Amino acid sequence: MRLAKFVLSRILIWFLTILVGITVVFFLQRMMPSDPINNMISKMLGMGTTMTPEEIEVMRESLAKQYGLTGSLFEQYLDMLRRLVHFDFGLSIANYPTPVAQMIGQALPYTVCLLLTTTVLSWIIGNAIGLLAGFKKDKWYSKALETVSMCIYPTPYFMVALVIMILMAYVKQWFPLVPAFDEFTFTWEWFSDAIYNSFMPALSLMLVGTGWWIISMKALSSNVAEEEYVNYGRMKGLTEATIGYRYVFRNSILSQVTALALHIGGAFGGSLMCEIIFGYPGVGQMVNTAINNSDYNLLTGVIFISIFAVATATLLIDLLYPLIDPRIRNS
Amino acid sequence: MMRIENVTAQYQTITGPVVSVKDVDFTIRDDEIFGIAGESGCGKSTLLKVLYDVIQFPLEIAGGRVVLDYTDATGAHRTLQSGEIKNVWWDAISYIPQAAMSVLNPVYRIDEQFFELFRRHRKGSGEKAMKDRVVQYLNELDLPVDILKSYPHQLSGGMRQRVVIAMATFLQPNMIFADEPTTALDVVVQKSILMMLMELQSRMHNTLVIVSHDMGVHYQITKRMGIMYSGSLMELGTTDEIFSNPLHPYTKMLIGALPKVGDKSTREGIPGGPPSLRNPPPGCRFAPRCKQARPECSQSVPKFVEVAPGRFAACHLLGK
Repeated sequence: MRLAKFVLSRILIWFLTILVGITVVFFLQRMMPSDPINNMISKMLGMGTTMTPEEIEVMRESLAKQYGLTGSLFEQYLDMLRRLVHFDFGLSIANYPTPVAQMIGQALPYTVCLLLTTTVLSWIIGNAIGLLAGFKKDKWYSKALETVSMCIYPTPYFMVALVIMILMAYVKQWFPLVPAFDEFTFTWEWFSDAIYNSFMPALSLMLVGTGWWIISMKALSSNVAEEEYVNYGRMKGLTEATIGYRYVFRNSILSQVTALALHIGGAFGGSLMCEIIFGYPGVGQMVNTAINNSDYNLLTGVIFISIFAVATATLLIDLLYPLIDPRIRNS
Repeated sequence: MMRIENVTAQYQTITGPVVSVKDVDFTIRDDEIFGIAGESGCGKSTLLKVLYDVIQFPLEIAGGRVVLDYTDATGAHRTLQSGEIKNVWWDAISYIPQAAMSVLNPVYRIDEQFFELFRRHRKGSGEKAMKDRVVQYLNELDLPVDILKSYPHQLSGGMRQRVVIAMATFLQPNMIFADEPTTALDVVVQKSILMMLMELQSRMHNTLVIVSHDMGVHYQITKRMGIMYSGSLMELGTTDEIFSNPLHPYTKMLIGALPKVGDKSTREGIPGGPPSLRNPPPGCRFAPRCKQARPECSQSVPKFVEVAPGRFAACHLLGK
C-alpha cells in the first residue's frame, strides 16, 4: 500500500513536471519577437514569387491553419497538448513539409549515441580517478590527477573543442573536419566509420565531463574517507582494497548515480555547442536552426523530448534509488 | 599479556609537540578486566591508541614501547611490539570504539559486516559455515537473529553497541580494548552492556581493557585499575583496594566525590580543572589542586613506585 502510494506520487510528479515544462515552452515561444508565418511569406516573396495582397492574406490563413496557429492562444495550447499525447509535433515550419517527428527521429540517434557513450564513459573514468584521488589523497599521483582535472574542467567548452579541432583536424589531419555519416547499415564498417567521424566531438565532451566527475567524486570520497566507520574498518584489520570498495566507494557513489541519471536524461536534448562547433548532425544542431527560423513546432518537439527524457530519468532514479541506498527504503 | 614500558606519546602541532602520555609503565595481565580511569583530557584515549597501535600523524611515540605477549590460535607463543601489533588486529586484539553509533558501514546489512571479518581473518571458511557460526554466536549472546538482515540505521543505539561488541569478540581475540563503551547510552542499557562484556570475558578468559571516566563502571566490572591524571598514571591496584583504601590524594578526592546510598552529606568536588598538556606545571601535575601539597611537590615529579605488592602510586607523601 505504501509502495503503491510512493510509486503513484512519483508518477504524478513526473506528469506535472512535463506539463509545466511544455506550458512554459509554449508561452515562451509565443513571446518571441518574430512571426513564423511572416518569415515564411517573406522568404517566398524573396525567392521571386509574386503575390497580390489578397493572395498573401489567403496564404497566411491557410498556413496558420496548417500549423495550428488559428484560434485563441488557449485553443492553440489545448490543441498542442492533444497532439503531444501521440508524439505528433506537426510539420516543420522551416523545412516544410517534413513532419517534426521524422526530423527528430533522424537526428536523435546520432545525439543519443554520442552523448550516452561519452556520458557513461566519462562517468566511469571520472569516478574511478576521483575515488582514487579522494581515498588516497596524500599520494603524489592523486594530487597530480586532481590538478590536471582542475585545469581542464573550468576551461570553457568551446576552447577545448576548438583546440582539439585545430590540433587533430587541421595541424594533423587525423580526423575529418566535418563528420559525414553514410546511410545506416548494421555492419562493422559503418560502426567503425561512425566512431572515426565522431571521435573529436566525443573526445572534447569526455575531457570536460571527466574533469567534472573527478572533482565531484574526489570531494565526496575524501569526505567519506574521514567517516568513523572507515576508520573503524581499518581498525578491524580489513585490507585497503576492502576499505576502498566496500566502505568509501559504496558510500560515496550514491549521489553520483543520481547525477548520472540526470545527465543521461539530458543527453536527449543534445549538446548545442558541441554539435554546432563540430557540425555534428544531432538534435542540438536542429535546435539552433529551429530558433533561428522561429520553427515553433520543431522547437516544441525537441524540447518536449528533452523534458520527457529528463523527467523520466528522474522518475526512474526515484523508483530505483531505494535499491542502492538502504537508508531511503524506510522513509 | 601486555607490557607498557615507559611509554611517552605526543601530538605534533605547529607550535611544537604536546605530550599527552608521559612515562606510563604498567602491565595488563591475562584473563582480567583492567580499567583505566581519569577525567576528560587526561590522555586516556591517547594511551588506548598507543596500546592498540593506532599511531597516525600527528600522534607519535616519543619513548618506550608496548609489548604484546600472547598465544595464537595454533598454540604458538608470539611477542609483538608497537608497530607490529597492528598486524594482528582482530585476530589477537580487537577494539570497541567510543562512538558505536557511527562505526557501522551504513550500506551493508549486519550479516555482511560479520562475513567481511570472516573473509579477512578466517580465510577459507565456507559460506554456510560462516552463516551458521554468526547465528550461533548471536544466540550465545542472546541477541535477536533478525538483526542480521537489518541495516545499521534500523537498529537502536544500544543494539548497535551490542552488535559492535559482538563483532569485536566474534573471532575470540586475546585482548579487547573498549573506549568508553557505555558513554552515549542511558543507564539501563549501560548496565546490560556492562553485563554482556563481563559475561563474555568470563566465558572467553581473555583480557578486557576498559577506558572510562565513569568510576561507577570501573567499580562494577573491573578487577584492577589505573587512575590517570594529566597524561600519567597516579595510582594502580586492584579495584577493591583503590575504592576502599585510596592512596593518592587525587584518587581520594575522586572517590570522595562519588555519591553513596544512605549518605546524605554534601559531596565535595575537586576544585579547579586539569592542567593544560601544552604547558604542564612543574613537579607533580596534581600539586596545584592538591590540598596536601608541600613545597617539594611543585619542584620534582614523584616516581611511580610499588608501595605494596601490586599496588603502585606516584606521590611524594607516600613512604614518609
